[in-house]
Amino acid sequence: MSAMPRARKKAQPAVSRRDFLASAALAGASLILPGRTRAAPASAGAAKGSAGDIKVGLIGGGSQGRTLLVAAVKIPGVKFAAVADIWPYHSRYAANILKEYGHPAAVYEDYREMLAKASLDAVLIATPDWVHAEQTIAALRAGVHVYCEKEMANTVGDARAMVKAAAETGKLLQIGHQRRSNPRYRHAESLVNGEGVLGRITHVYGQWNRPKPLEQGWPKGSDLDAAALARWGYGSMEQLRNWRWYRKYASGPIGDLGSHQLDVFNWFLRVPPVSVLAAGGADVQPEHEWGDYTMGIYEWRPPTGPVRGYYQVLSSTSHGGYYEVLMGEGGSLEISEDPKVGFFYREPQAQRRQWEDEASRVSKMGRDAIELKIGETRKEAKRSRRAIEAEADARKPLHQPHLENFFDAIRGKVALTCPASEAFATAVTALRTNDAVAASTPLALAPAEFVP
Amino acid sequence: MKALLALLLLLAGPGFAAPAKAKPAKPTVSATTTGDRGVSASAETPRSSAADDRVPLDLKLPKPAFIGTPRNVPAGTTVEKVSGKLRPPFRVPPGTVNLAAGLPAGAGGSEPLVGEAKLITDGDKEATDGSYVEFGRGLKSVTIDLGANGELAAILVWHYHGDPRVYHDVVVQVADDPDFITNVRTLYNNDADNTAGLGVGRDREYFETYEGRLIDAKLVKARYVKLWSNGSTADEMNRYTEVEVYGRPVK
Repeated sequence: MSAMPRARKKAQPAVSRRDFLASAALAGASLILPGRTRAAPASAGAAKGSAGDIKVGLIGGGSQGRTLLVAAVKIPGVKFAAVADIWPYHSRYAANILKEYGHPAAVYEDYREMLAKASLDAVLIATPDWVHAEQTIAALRAGVHVYCEKEMANTVGDARAMVKAAAETGKLLQIGHQRRSNPRYRHAESLVNGEGVLGRITHVYGQWNRPKPLEQGWPKGSDLDAAALARWGYGSMEQLRNWRWYRKYASGPIGDLGSHQLDVFNWFLRVPPVSVLAAGGADVQPEHEWGDYTMGIYEWRPPTGPVRGYYQVLSSTSHGGYYEVLMGEGGSLEISEDPKVGFFYREPQAQRRQWEDEASRVSKMGRDAIELKIGETRKEAKRSRRAIEAEADARKPLHQPHLENFFDAIRGKVALTCPASEAFATAVTALRTNDAVAASTPLALAPAEFVP
Repeated sequence: MKALLALLLLLAGPGFAAPAKAKPAKPTVSATTTGDRGVSASAETPRSSAADDRVPLDLKLPKPAFIGTPRNVPAGTTVEKVSGKLRPPFRVPPGTVNLAAGLPAGAGGSEPLVGEAKLITDGDKEATDGSYVEFGRGLKSVTIDLGANGELAAILVWHYHGDPRVYHDVVVQVADDPDFITNVRTLYNNDADNTAGLGVGRDREYFETYEGRLIDAKLVKARYVKLWSNGSTADEMNRYTEVEVYGRPVK
């Protein structure tokens, strides 16, 4: 059984790359409207097809950075040219992967030097949360489009500064909530907000339970010396390798994992929450600054009425895995990034959709569940071109559709599915959950807090 | 709703106090056996030890890096279902040792993307950076020269067990010469469509776990061991964390 196809077609520039990307980005910028999350067709006059490679750099060559590389490296018209990481083990590793795919990349310790010398069109940022703002703002001000991993930042102020920099520079800033570009989630969102299959939504629930994380080590002889660690803000190699456990560097489990799912609720409900009550702590690994459990109770107030929600992230048990549930008077929807989890449960008295007759069904906990297969649960013809394409996209590596959206937006073909202006609301939701844990009392979330 | 009630109770009472620290997990030591089928050692494989003399093979296993049954079994593959049970003991002749421990491993000229080939036999099986060597895309192989013929009881391979992935075209061969021309015997082959060109394999694909894959070597005598792979469900690259070759020197 062979692995993924290996052939890669190199796009042939028809016009100069910089000229094309400059004009296309302007066209794309005009498509980004407040509150708009759906991909939009290119406006009249926007160039179509690949007119030149997008020259890309990677900041952060760790496991998430390499995941992004592997997902992006075969996208037509994307050419990686540089890697920056403060740890040579990671930068060399990422550069070797790029070389393997025919993308020779210059290696930098300092991302600022990379921005100054590499003449990039875009960067992917996959570094610890605490440097996202600094690196993103520097890249935007260097005239470079940015795809930045979530959590945007580990302070609301830093996240707000990122949105402001994107607005000031006119450059694109996509945040790595990849579910927003996932065809299965986009299909589910269209069922909820397009067809209204859930009726009035009343409750939501989500969880991400995972086993206790292991301490990350590092190869013998690869240590950064104390001076280098201090220069980059780390007290030790252990801190660098296990940054998610430290408040200085990370946003906690609610930022690492919960943010993805809170973003789904904000996206589907189309409003941020109005309150949060939360608990959290470190029961299993009390030596960690960030805890191993966070549990939050939220309220959203969309125009249809209040929505009560509960979310938990546990780093001590994997029971139940990770998924989101939205419950309404017309039915419930259960979905996960795990492609095997996608179900619709219709309430008995709710309107029956015509597509239900042809949809696949399974029994889930004694209930009749409709599987959320894109081609089967839609108004259009079962084997429509749109459905076939969406199903094919759903089989790609999880991050690839979101990266494709970013690069297509640079070309002016679509709008970003997760612009920083919208991801900011999710960052506030996650970071204020941490505040609620510390306060041990319910916090009201004013609408003004979600305005970047 | 149970979780909601639990949270409310937590907030209402002194439940914020953290319980005593749990003890860290220790590396597991376990005896293992094969769950594999279709091992294709040749019929003339020597059997120099009586089965009733055999003793359980002691293996030092790494820390489990992920727990639970992987959900995303790739469609259209031969991936075997994860049982969730530990491997039962695998019995080997007395005096069986890891003949590959610390020996140099060759990679046929492939330059690693990260790590060094010596990591394959250094005894470190953990699923963390620095424990594995990664080679590039496509069909890759590593070869271990045992230095002399051994009577091989079992070969264990950990490609990478940090996430639930399946390696493609896993083929394990032994031979009498480093070029694999003389007396080549295939002990394991899950290349169902002969992508690797080493013959159609009838063994199953499998999820990597901390237990590694145990391949029954049927007491075959050989000096050279070669392992092939062709990318995984995670990406197209080929990681090797550890290979152990259990057997006895042939006198």
